[in-house]
Amino acid sequence: MALFTLKDLSFTYPQQPKQALSAVYMVVEKGEFVVLCGRSGCGKSTLLRHLKTVLTPHGKHQGEILFDNRPLAQVDLREQSSRIGFVLQSPENQIVTDKVWHELAFGLESLGCDTATIRLRVAEMASFFGIQEWYHKDVNELSGGQKQLLNLAAVMVMQPDVLVLDEPTAQLDPIAAAEFLNQLKKINDETGTTIIIAEQRLEVVLPLADKVVVLADGKVLAQGDVSAISTRLNVTKSPMLKAFPAAARVFLAMEDQTDDACTAGSPKGEHFNREYRGDARFNCDSSIATCPITIREGRDWLMRELAATQSQPSSDQLAQPQMLSTLPPAPPSPVHAENPSDASTVVAGAKEVWFRYERKGADILRGLSLEIHQSELFCLLGGNGTGKSTTLGVLAGLLKPYRGKVWLEKQASSANTLAATDDLLQNKLAAFTSAESTAARGGLCLLPQDSQTIFTEKTIRDDLLTMFTNPKSDISLARADSIAELLEIDTLLDRHPFDVSVGEQQRAALAKVLLREPQILLLDEPTKGLDAAFKEQLAAILEKLKARGVSILMVSHDIEFCAAYADRCAMLFDGDVVSQSATRQFFVGNSFYTTAANRLSRGLVENVVTAEDIIKHLSTLNERQSKSGFPSSSNKLSGTSSVRARS
Amino acid sequence: MRNLHPAISFSYFAFVILITVVFMHPVTLCISLISALLYAIYLNGIKSLRLTLLVLVPMMLLAAIINPLFNHLGNTVLITVGSLQITLESTLYGLSTAGMLAAVILWFSCYNKIMTSDKFTYLFGKIIPSVSLIISMTLRFIPRYLSQMKKITYAQQAIGRDLNSGHLIDRIRSGGDILSIMVTWALENGVDTADSMRSRGYGLKGRSSYSLYKLDSRDKLLAAFSLYLAIMVIVGIALRLISISYFPWITLNPFSIPALLIYLAFLLLCLFPLLLDGFEELKWRSSRSRI
Repeated sequence: MALFTLKDLSFTYPQQPKQALSAVYMVVEKGEFVVLCGRSGCGKSTLLRHLKTVLTPHGKHQGEILFDNRPLAQVDLREQSSRIGFVLQSPENQIVTDKVWHELAFGLESLGCDTATIRLRVAEMASFFGIQEWYHKDVNELSGGQKQLLNLAAVMVMQPDVLVLDEPTAQLDPIAAAEFLNQLKKINDETGTTIIIAEQRLEVVLPLADKVVVLADGKVLAQGDVSAISTRLNVTKSPMLKAFPAAARVFLAMEDQTDDACTAGSPKGEHFNREYRGDARFNCDSSIATCPITIREGRDWLMRELAATQSQPSSDQLAQPQMLSTLPPAPPSPVHAENPSDASTVVAGAKEVWFRYERKGADILRGLSLEIHQSELFCLLGGNGTGKSTTLGVLAGLLKPYRGKVWLEKQASSANTLAATDDLLQNKLAAFTSAESTAARGGLCLLPQDSQTIFTEKTIRDDLLTMFTNPKSDISLARADSIAELLEIDTLLDRHPFDVSVGEQQRAALAKVLLREPQILLLDEPTKGLDAAFKEQLAAILEKLKARGVSILMVSHDIEFCAAYADRCAMLFDGDVVSQSATRQFFVGNSFYTTAANRLSRGLVENVVTAEDIIKHLSTLNERQSKSGFPSSSNKLSGTSSVRARS
Repeated sequence: MRNLHPAISFSYFAFVILITVVFMHPVTLCISLISALLYAIYLNGIKSLRLTLLVLVPMMLLAAIINPLFNHLGNTVLITVGSLQITLESTLYGLSTAGMLAAVILWFSCYNKIMTSDKFTYLFGKIIPSVSLIISMTLRFIPRYLSQMKKITYAQQAIGRDLNSGHLIDRIRSGGDILSIMVTWALENGVDTADSMRSRGYGLKGRSSYSLYKLDSRDKLLAAFSLYLAIMVIVGIALRLISISYFPWITLNPFSIPALLIYLAFLLLCLFPLLLDGFEELKWRSSRSRI
């Protein structure tokens, strides 16, 4: 039975030439777990908001939305309030009242339930979500993850038939996000509540999904089960694939290669063609070899794949890989590993720093030591409450350590500063330098986690100009323009900083910070809430800055991002750096706190950090196999990576 | 007292404070002042009392001194300084006022400890539900705005714009900047809050108000008991069994058994929270020692 049916839904925002949604057709069955994915700004939120009348944006609507076989507009608001639950992105903004218990009761109060009913329903939900322990607390005392769970519970007390969630974990750290999504799974499994969720964390959410809908530019690109979707996206070479789990990415890349390598007569290629090239435009509900999504599925698939390349062509394809004669040397232990960038100059650092916020409070930093090298991207990883943000505060000089030293090389080569390499302004530089105060210049700047706290003006341009002592001069304007160009926000200069997307907001904030011409840039969780495309853009910008001689220290939860782009990584735990080495060594050395690709291939392929490493490895294997015609021996495999059997 | 139903706690404090303010009888004042002092010590500890005294004592002195200087009613002249006649009645009246002020302040400090914001919200929510929600939302948003303001200042410092330094004019200007961006921020985020409220049915007819408080049998018993004492005191005052008048000369009710009973009733009423809490603590301890 269909709970929601969207027929040819189109929508245009007022005074916008382009349709935000065009001819969306979507059916959500009762009890289904539907994941909606797509890049930022592809119309996910707009689509979700159409599922509840009070949240539907104003504009031109076309098409039909049926809820429980009735047009949604005719379902009265009281019924919609209780039957369609909605959870938004920001944990903070959704909370209305000051106490946890009051927030839980809010929805039922609106419906006018009596005290006894509210008491019962609230009690049920608090027990289901394990909220009892903080039932009497002020909401200010909760962590971000707890707040979002509270928002979910506050909607669940109304016993909705369907939960609609708009990127609910974007503001959460990975652990809180996983907990939240598992809670959703529990709701779906145990109560049969239908779930429609827009999400960026596909690694976690895809294994839970019954159906995936991919949106692009307001159109449904594909819908169906996960496996079918990934194969279909692969055929169309959709950029969305970058956000998919590592297992799926490796699988699809290999699928592609076999497809390319095989002649038309190859059974696999034929199957592939028949199923996906000529088939229906939208619905692709079946697939050949199921695409692995989780790490476990990915490992199973990888084992089979490796076995296939190693065993005799005539032997059993699914046999365990044979024990190889020589095991590759274990990767060097990260603790003793030599830094590849040791030769480069150290521009700033901290030595045995101790810090606490209150005189009698607990120590947050406990003998922290670290160094930032010239022109590198140094990532500081670590869980919640390990002191990551505090470290940045101390390095930026905003917090004063009570023991230990924080130092900054005063004479970091100023020839490399932004302005100096800026050809356009080379000649104006002298005047500019004398006019500007030297306070923070050439020094160290911190971009806080919440970019919104950076802005103080009504347009991005005005905001950038506040960084100059003489904002009206041509030099200032030219500098602002050039920095805007560097950060790809030059088309947004006249917009209000709060009106642009999260990724753009962050780049605008970064632009403002860069006008200080910092030698060292400190970033606090810069990838939070960004989709895969925005992350790539950020990485490119960081790369450009490095080329200009800026050293970057970022703290992050985002293992995959750090693995792909960092020069060095360190892990912070209990107020101190426990392991610090070059990125590859760092991730290869860790067993849990490491990338999905590494966990996927642990014990099967050594020295893997990213999905691309596995793809490269497998394709070399395939190549060898097709060249030699019989199994490659271990000696031939000693390339960038090597194989050993799983014990 | 803490886990008493808010309606009872509130009426209790209202009654005791009212009697203290309106009826400036020396005996009841002393009772009220001493009980309030004891209960304040019990609730807040000796340390916090020192701070209260720092404010209280000068205020009491001021009240006690100023009254006889400006109030010349009363027949018994103590001293004449020039044209200024200081009377015994106005001096005593000043002292009583001082005692009354002290007692009221101490009662309020106890009130604050017992009647937390959510209890207050609940009580007034019963009368006007929308007010209760507004109070609750205000309590949610004030700390949020303050912390956001802190974050903005911190962020600005981190990029080398120290908003707390510079000339006064600079500081005023940057303060204005923060305020203006705060308004934008609040509106921007308020849209989400509004969506979240409407999505959960805010604005539908017939909103109810939920609370954690239940009127249980213990509440009823204690309410009846204190009501009985309160009625005794009121009747005593109404029948002029206890009475006071300061001007033109001091007339106190004569000592009598009924008057004594009423003093006792008031004493019991004033010590009621302390006795209740003390009794419960004793019970708690003895039940624990048995385990």
